[in-house]
Amino acid sequence: MAAVQGGLVDADEDKDIKTEASNDSWGNNNANDGRLLSPSPGSSASAGSNKSAAGASEEQQTLLAVLQFLRKNKLTESVEILRREAGLPEDSLEPKGAESSGAGSGGASGGVDLEGGDASSLLSRVTASSTAGAQAPTKVAAGEDQPDVNVVLSAYSQQGDPALYEVYYSGLKRFIESVLDCHRAELSQVFYPLFVHMYLELVYNNHESEAKAFFEKFSGDQECYYEDDLRVLSSLTKKEHMRGNETLLDFRTSKFVLRISRDSYQLLKRHLQERQNNQIWNIIQEHLYIDIFDGMPRSKSQIDAMSGSLAGEAKREANKAKVYYGLLKEPEIELPLDDEDEEAENEEGKPKKKKPKKDSLGSKSKKQDPNAPSQNRIPLPELKDSDKLDKIMYMKEATKRIRLGPDNLPSICFYSFLNAYQGLTAVDFTDDSSLIAGGFADSTVRVWSVTPKKLRKVKSAADLNLIDKESDDVLERIMDEKTASESKILCGHSGPVYGISFSPDRNYLLSSSEDGTVRLWSLQTFTCLVGYKGHNYPVWDTQFSPHGYYFVSGGHDRVARLWATDHYQPLRMFSGHLADVTCTRFHPNSNYVATGSSDRTIRLWDVLNGNCVRIFTGHKGPIHALAFSPNGKFLASGATDGRVLLWDIGHGLMVGELKGHTDTIYSLRFSRDGEILASGSMDNTVRLWDATKAFDDLETDDFTAATGHIHLQDNSQELLLGTYMTKSTPVIHLHFTRRNLLLAAGAYNP
Amino acid sequence: MSAPKTIPKDAQVMIQILKDMGITEYEPRVINQMLEFTYRYVTTIIEDAKIYATHAKKSNVDADDIKLAIQCRMDQSFTSPPPRDFLLEVARQKNQTPLPLIKPYTGPRLPPDRYCLTAPNYRLKSIQKKVSSSAGRISVPRLSVGAVSSRPSTPTLGTPSVQSVTTKVGTPVSLTGQRFTVQIPPPSQTTTTKTTTPSTPAVSNVLINPSLIGSKNILITTNMVSQNTGGESLKRKHEDDDDYDAL
Repeated sequence: MAAVQGGLVDADEDKDIKTEASNDSWGNNNANDGRLLSPSPGSSASAGSNKSAAGASEEQQTLLAVLQFLRKNKLTESVEILRREAGLPEDSLEPKGAESSGAGSGGASGGVDLEGGDASSLLSRVTASSTAGAQAPTKVAAGEDQPDVNVVLSAYSQQGDPALYEVYYSGLKRFIESVLDCHRAELSQVFYPLFVHMYLELVYNNHESEAKAFFEKFSGDQECYYEDDLRVLSSLTKKEHMRGNETLLDFRTSKFVLRISRDSYQLLKRHLQERQNNQIWNIIQEHLYIDIFDGMPRSKSQIDAMSGSLAGEAKREANKAKVYYGLLKEPEIELPLDDEDEEAENEEGKPKKKKPKKDSLGSKSKKQDPNAPSQNRIPLPELKDSDKLDKIMYMKEATKRIRLGPDNLPSICFYSFLNAYQGLTAVDFTDDSSLIAGGFADSTVRVWSVTPKKLRKVKSAADLNLIDKESDDVLERIMDEKTASESKILCGHSGPVYGISFSPDRNYLLSSSEDGTVRLWSLQTFTCLVGYKGHNYPVWDTQFSPHGYYFVSGGHDRVARLWATDHYQPLRMFSGHLADVTCTRFHPNSNYVATGSSDRTIRLWDVLNGNCVRIFTGHKGPIHALAFSPNGKFLASGATDGRVLLWDIGHGLMVGELKGHTDTIYSLRFSRDGEILASGSMDNTVRLWDATKAFDDLETDDFTAATGHIHLQDNSQELLLGTYMTKSTPVIHLHFTRRNLLLAAGAYNP
Repeated sequence: MSAPKTIPKDAQVMIQILKDMGITEYEPRVINQMLEFTYRYVTTIIEDAKIYATHAKKSNVDADDIKLAIQCRMDQSFTSPPPRDFLLEVARQKNQTPLPLIKPYTGPRLPPDRYCLTAPNYRLKSIQKKVSSSAGRISVPRLSVGAVSSRPSTPTLGTPSVQSVTTKVGTPVSLTGQRFTVQIPPPSQTTTTKTTTPSTPAVSNVLINPSLIGSKNILITTNMVSQNTGGESLKRKHEDDDDYDAL
């Protein structure tokens, strides 16, 4: 069944597109991946396959039913094509009006049905799918029938008698409890998705009382980390409640992915294909995607580490694409002859040369790192003179950087926002730590200067005419001294500001807000320059790319968008999450974007073509913090469950888990050389972790990648280098200065 | 002594709802906010339903009206984000176009001005100009712009405006009866005049085309009127183009 997800009927291409779009746009249709669930002859109706090996009578029945359906909707050409391809004789069509259905395709066909064959309207599909359930029973009743076709075709809507759902589930429970220990953990994964889907089916088909009874009986058995979901489900008792809840609708139509070893799977399959358990088998086939691997079954702890997301785990091929996680080469900067220039370390003491010097930090090896993207993989803005000056400053500061380590912890400087009355919603520092910006719930953005240098606006046009343009300090003269102040307030949004980001060249500030817009502010005139409208729903996070020019934003509409400052529409849309995108971060080489979401997964997207190249599951709560390591190889993530998870991007695996925080983690940051990971949380603490040790000795081989047998060492205690408590200030933002001093920010919350 | 405070029943229900949804920590104001939302929502729905019922000429509001009211409100206020297949489709199309190349040396990279918020969002109203009634007054309708009056080259003697000008430019503008000479000041002076004209309220940045005026530099009497009108109208065209805050 999984292999034929591509569509209801290949002949009907419109439906094909819809169902294809309804599944994630990669990988689902690969029938050539031998590990996929083999299409069993008893599969439910969506197998409108045009394989001529339709020997099994049930498949034949399915085909006939599909033909019926097409004919009913007057899609005569499709009828012809299908009949020809399937090799069915003319008169084998039965006058049957049953709706053919299957998981996502059930929705699609329902949609088509309603539209009377207008398959091009994608939007109606959702409302259609919501009524598909109601439709099918009536249709089934209406058609003259053969009982076999009936049962097969009403698959999604109703697997047998609702009152028997409890019996089915209990039966499965008994079976799984009776298998060998080594298989039990794996097979127990089936409980949760099965439970949810069965419950939703009951609700959809308006069997409210059965649904409630079913829920009460079995919800307590589920894993504890699904508690929040179950609570949401418990309030859903009618079909109307599901309208408008996009997350649940997506859950219904997408397939929950399970990774089970071949042996366990065989056990399950054998048991369920026995006659009386056929209904559960059908349900499993429709709603679950079982990714089979060869090898030892996984243990409970291994499974627990990786599960927890709304869509199960990640399929193996979702994490197979090559990711260029290396860093871009630093451009060689010709240092202009400048007496104040400190030479790089190896030139100390030498007499100043008269010819321009090259910077020695980035160009140690001329060979291209095989894991690094090429320089022009994505267009990046060229360096202006001011950028080059910035880079020189950066390198100078880098030479003065403190080397951190377990025995040399950074000092932490905490910036408390007083009198914010819980209104502080976002904070950002510039890279050189000279400015700090705060986004507030009263929709203002405030910028402060951290250094004694005050903030000044550029003079008005009239005054600018008066200054001497040729003087050396013209950049100072354009600033209006009369407007100097410690802080500036930027007003413009009409809702709380949830995301803030400075541009790397310190000219611009981005802010994203609940009003659905992202605003670009100039830090020279302290006015708003552009409002980027695209999300029509709250935008939870935004970030400038490390090279400037591009920025990414993610919001409630479950997509993340990539923009450039000079385009009023987004350049890329990263769509695939099942719930809000709560955190967006650029990779240091600007070629990839990581998004964390309320569906408890993290996805890594390729900027070049918008594809999702990695899916990381394992968190048990919405993700609020992401951080790339400075060398680009690793990603750290923090969520409401209080754990920090470490991921190897190249292999697509979880490599570490840091337990310690007791509340949501809102900020994560690696030190400048990647030795220390700092995490700040709502439990009013900042914790420092030893990142070098955490990434040491990683066993990442193909076996691990293939099977998901991760071996997480339980060494959180060893890796924890220090816990620093604030009085009662949740830590919202962390920032390492260029010299490895740790700055933290939060609003004092008495 | 005040009686022990009892929480109203609605609030108790709200507390129970919050507990059922698993929310255990919240500020006390949250209950008030939730209750207000509930009250406003229910009132809106019922009012809408009443309207629908009267429209359908029913005497009582019944369940269908309520359902219709809810549905309309949902579509209007409580919209939900687009469904996933739609998003995937749009994303697919958008992601197919290659990333645009970045032009070098373009200054601040901003979208076209239409999409920016950098344009002035205000216009200055012009003051009511009284056309001054000095002798030999040319009845040139200089109403719309008024800036004209500040020009040193204009033969009118709207006294205040001329004053502002003559400080900078010693323009010998003499009126002799109906005949007057206009001396066109050299362009440099006009430009400086331009910059000082902000002092005059009705004036703005105006392009003066000295050559144009020069061409009309004739000793005339009433002719001047027409000439000046001609000049004026040309000038006014410039002004109208450049100057939208003096309307």
